[in-house]
Amino acid sequence: MTASALIETAALLGLFVLAGGGYGSLYSVGRLWARPALIRAGSVCWIAAFALALTIALRTPLDIGWKLLILASALVYAVIPPLIWRYLERLHHEQEIRR
Amino acid sequence: MYRSQKLSLRYYTAAVALFGVMIVFGLLSALYYLYPSLLFNVFNFNMSKILHIDTLVIWLLMGFLGAVYWYLPKELGREVEGMWLAELMFWVFCAAVVVVAAVFVFVQYGAANEFSMWFINQGRKYVEAPRWAAIGIVVVMLVFAYNVIATCIKARKMTGIMWVLVLDLIPLLAVYLDAFPAVTNMSVDLYWWWWLVHMWVESTWEVLIGCVMALVLMDVMGTSRRIVETWLYIEVMLVLGAGILGLGHHYFWIGTPQYWLSIGGFFSALEPLPLLGMVVHAIYDAGTHRMKTNNQPAFWWITAEAFGNFIGAGIWGFMMTLPQINLFSHGTQWTVSHGHFAFYGAYVCGVIAVLYVAKQQVSGADVLGGRAWKWGFGLLNFGMVGMVMGLLLAGMAQAFYGRAMGGSTLMAFTTASENPWFVSGMYARMLFGVVFAAGYVVLVYDLLTSPRRVPALQAQPEPA
Repeated sequence: MTASALIETAALLGLFVLAGGGYGSLYSVGRLWARPALIRAGSVCWIAAFALALTIALRTPLDIGWKLLILASALVYAVIPPLIWRYLERLHHEQEIRR
Repeated sequence: MYRSQKLSLRYYTAAVALFGVMIVFGLLSALYYLYPSLLFNVFNFNMSKILHIDTLVIWLLMGFLGAVYWYLPKELGREVEGMWLAELMFWVFCAAVVVVAAVFVFVQYGAANEFSMWFINQGRKYVEAPRWAAIGIVVVMLVFAYNVIATCIKARKMTGIMWVLVLDLIPLLAVYLDAFPAVTNMSVDLYWWWWLVHMWVESTWEVLIGCVMALVLMDVMGTSRRIVETWLYIEVMLVLGAGILGLGHHYFWIGTPQYWLSIGGFFSALEPLPLLGMVVHAIYDAGTHRMKTNNQPAFWWITAEAFGNFIGAGIWGFMMTLPQINLFSHGTQWTVSHGHFAFYGAYVCGVIAVLYVAKQQVSGADVLGGRAWKWGFGLLNFGMVGMVMGLLLAGMAQAFYGRAMGGSTLMAFTTASENPWFVSGMYARMLFGVVFAAGYVVLVYDLLTSPRRVPALQAQPEPA
């Protein structure tokens, strides 16, 4: 790996997780305040995360296994916030009923 | 107030004092990078770094012990068993820390013999305390384990959180035995040494702070026991699944088999996923309570923990954890940047939240608010972000010029250390380190001053 590729790849990896975090945060705040615009902004963040994953796969000198792992992670990122949100709602709902 | 909670306050006091010592030696260590001949042959960089890191470990450990002693009687509805022993151990612990620090400052090092190992320095990074003190830590932890387990038995009560805590005590103690060097082969020694460092920081401590945060969440935000226990079990599963084998991401340049690098990279790459879940959970909980709580400082420090953990461990970790990057970034200021952010996010924020929980109860205030805590919160977070950005810049310069371009030679290291990017990063770290220190002063001031009397909020937390 060249010196430039090292910094570029690391920056892309960091931005990838940052975009994933942006998606999770905006999705959650959007659901919390019932603001579809924020949920859409969250989706844009996920698209950015996926685009970054594709860029990592196509342009960086990482081994193929890592590229596949990153692409798979991008797909998993898509489902984590809605899945956890639904789970939390159910958990709290059950708690309310119990009380 | 229970007797164990009084002991807990002593632990908190010692922890906060050592937090200050850690910052002093952190600033001094930062100065050496700007003035390399500073205190040459009087008090060298290595001793300052040892005191910075060792006090970090000890103050956090004291914070954890304090938090458990604080919540144990509340959780089990009775006084902690064997309190006299616990109180004795607190003083033994403090005395040992003072003696070891005095030896590090005034004696510093000795000849490479058994005497030095027993009475001056064990010679192992992060666990440098001489062997007598290391044995002392084992005794303190054994007594702590006895206090927890015996109280559970006497109370005839085991909650989910207590099960996790008790089971976590076994690896917590077992891996510390790794602090005692027994092999002379450097590769083998470092191989096992990482078990101690990694398993404490990225496994057993994670579970321990998870238990503490579960108790804090029930206390401060009124989150139900079922919810916090469910999350705690999920966390334990993830620690077992991803945290333990992430160990391999440390195995660079020490002669371990190459397959460890792939194993470490793979499991570390999975770590941001649960952290993302934590962020979603933090926002959900904050929203459910509409940001209303009777303990604002604790609430914000809990929230900072979720985000700090995601950014410090998730983003900063993922940037450099894959083997092809780690090969170059390993051991540079880049790693230091990640270490600072991850420790701060995962542990420091959590322990500060616990301090505010104790402050509220001790002061008898219905509501904890005011302005000073906001300044402390802002300065500490701003200072930390600035420091890690400076360190990241410096570390990337080292990886770029010293490792990837220069081929990791001594000359390349020197050249990279004189590079303007590296130097500016080090100046930034120093500057923001001062900001962080100012935040610490405000934090201590706020913890020590009595809160203003304000009527409690209408919306009380849900009963646990």
